[in-house]
Amino acid sequence: MSLRSGLASFVGRSSYWFLHTFFKGGSSLPGKLAVKMDPEILKDLGSKYDVIIITGTNGKTLTTALTVRVLGQKYQSLLTNPTGSNMIQGIVTTFLEAPKTKDAKPVAVLEVDEANIVLVTKYIKPKAFVFTNIFRDQMDRYGEIYTTYQKILNGVALAPEATIIANGDAPIFHSKHLPNPIVYYGFNHEPDGELKAKPNTDGILCPVCQNILHYKFLTYSNLGKYYCPECGFSRPELTYSLNKLGERTPTSSKFEIDNHPYKIEIGGMYNIYNALAAYAVGRFMGVSSSQIAKAFESDKKVFGRQEEITVGDKKLTLILVKNPVGLNQVLDMISTEKDPFSFISLLNANYADGIDTSWIWDGNFELLPQLNIKAFMTGGERYKDVTFRLKVAGVPQDKLIVEPSLSKIIEKVPQLPTEKIYVLATYTAVLQLRKELANKGYIKEGMSI
Amino acid sequence: MTYELNVAHLYGDLMNTYGDVGNILALNYYAEQMDVKLNVSIVSLKDPFDASKFDLAFFGGGQDYEQVIVSKDIQNKKQSLTAFIEDDGPVLAICGGYQLLGHYYVGADGEKIPGIGALDHYTLAQDNNRFIGDIVIENQEFDEQYHGFENHQGRTFLGKDEKPLGVVLSGKGNNGEDKTEGAIYKNVYCSYFHGPILTRNGNIAKRLLVAALQRKYPEQDFSKLASMPIPATF
Repeated sequence: MSLRSGLASFVGRSSYWFLHTFFKGGSSLPGKLAVKMDPEILKDLGSKYDVIIITGTNGKTLTTALTVRVLGQKYQSLLTNPTGSNMIQGIVTTFLEAPKTKDAKPVAVLEVDEANIVLVTKYIKPKAFVFTNIFRDQMDRYGEIYTTYQKILNGVALAPEATIIANGDAPIFHSKHLPNPIVYYGFNHEPDGELKAKPNTDGILCPVCQNILHYKFLTYSNLGKYYCPECGFSRPELTYSLNKLGERTPTSSKFEIDNHPYKIEIGGMYNIYNALAAYAVGRFMGVSSSQIAKAFESDKKVFGRQEEITVGDKKLTLILVKNPVGLNQVLDMISTEKDPFSFISLLNANYADGIDTSWIWDGNFELLPQLNIKAFMTGGERYKDVTFRLKVAGVPQDKLIVEPSLSKIIEKVPQLPTEKIYVLATYTAVLQLRKELANKGYIKEGMSI
Repeated sequence: MTYELNVAHLYGDLMNTYGDVGNILALNYYAEQMDVKLNVSIVSLKDPFDASKFDLAFFGGGQDYEQVIVSKDIQNKKQSLTAFIEDDGPVLAICGGYQLLGHYYVGADGEKIPGIGALDHYTLAQDNNRFIGDIVIENQEFDEQYHGFENHQGRTFLGKDEKPLGVVLSGKGNNGEDKTEGAIYKNVYCSYFHGPILTRNGNIAKRLLVAALQRKYPEQDFSKLASMPIPATF
């Protein structure tokens, strides 16, 4: 370690100690300080580790958490970055905070923001990259899917020896020729048919000849066993495949990968993909099927995006929604609910939510009237937008309660006709609702998402 | 239902950013209230646009990559789309769809991407800037205000036969210079509005539907539908 890096590392570590001791939090400030003093610090900090970088627009956090659990079955020393710290400073902070280990080659599993990969790979040559998916986000914040993928590839170009572990069901991950070794994971649970993606789906052009892709089967959005009828471009051979989809409920999913049964304590197809990604990393790193099964079943706290809160005799399930594909996956997940339930949708349009509410129209709310929903409630700062969305979706007026105030919504919860209540909320609406719930004593203050 | 309208969703599988499909959902919502059945079909790459089969067309915006591909394909539909428009066919075109009905737009890398020139506007690029935010405009002729969310890099300049959809009260509009937003030519309504435009501005949905009905059923009187009040949704 150079003198400069040593000093930067010392400042970073001491500022972490200072912040942690006196302010009960580390934040990314130590990383910021250290990066300022010596931008090459990451080279020193990261060189000891086998680094796995997980990226993609959706599912990074859970895939990272699951991967850590899976690798934990075999590796003693594991380092990972906390949720949200997926930019360069947060990653430097993660290494600075790392406890000293005697392991010759500890493993670091890092969730990295798409645009920050190049900043990391400038200094760290990872062992593997994991590409979960690239979906369009609300575009007032992010770019188009092709731009996003290019950002990832700019980072990958600096590490041509790292193995790419990619979602094989996503056509975009098969669109560019790369020097890296690549393994694909995907679904192989249905017999071949002949399908096209739903009209309002992104990324369905053949990357070779720009005609519209067809599918032998689809899982969701533009994911599935795709092929181009014009030029023969098709899904690559899968190294790891999910061969059977079993019972799915909003809180659990059963499936088989490579003919071995697994269960995770969370619903949603997208979470099965996250588990499949973690499985692929596990196998790549030499973890056995039965160890992975154990890792998947061990703890449900890892699935923090979905929170259950008890209000009187009601069970609220609070789910963060932030973009159309995520929203559709959540709607699909709650459609597996067997009991009658109530549905609350809270919409804000602050910067963290996305300031354009148009994206709710890409969500398949038309599904709702077919479900066993006894009451609907809409609220939040943009309650008018979401209320009209539900009306257009065919939600009956007499079942719909419009209540902008989150505090009043909580007061009305005990009058809802069902025990189970699903609450879909954008980021700042989740924060505000949790604050109101804490004020009323239903939960402790603080943020778990 | 008493009436039936056939709607072409132009490149609906490729041009579908920012919830633009909500315009189709809103058209359907208002059509039901007017006792009109809508049959929506997607007209995409390699499909011909048969002007005699459709009563209304919607053309949304897309991502850069998809729009370039659509720009090439739509040249094969140029004649039939232009004929539909000249024959007073009602069209709603948003963002990229709006740009492609004009002469050309300048893409992200400075290349000129051809439209079909059915309308007389053209679109330039701006460097490292987008017009993003809430926007309110006023159409004095209709005495209506429209609310939307704009998010565009292109700056569009209208031709002499086009009227703006409205005058900008707040926001940027077509080009940030001349206070115009969108375009009206015959029964074609163009705009940069997302939101989507018809979910926030039901009056435009009504105007499109009534124009399509009058064109398809010329012997009927639709003045009652035309004066049907549309409750505010925004």
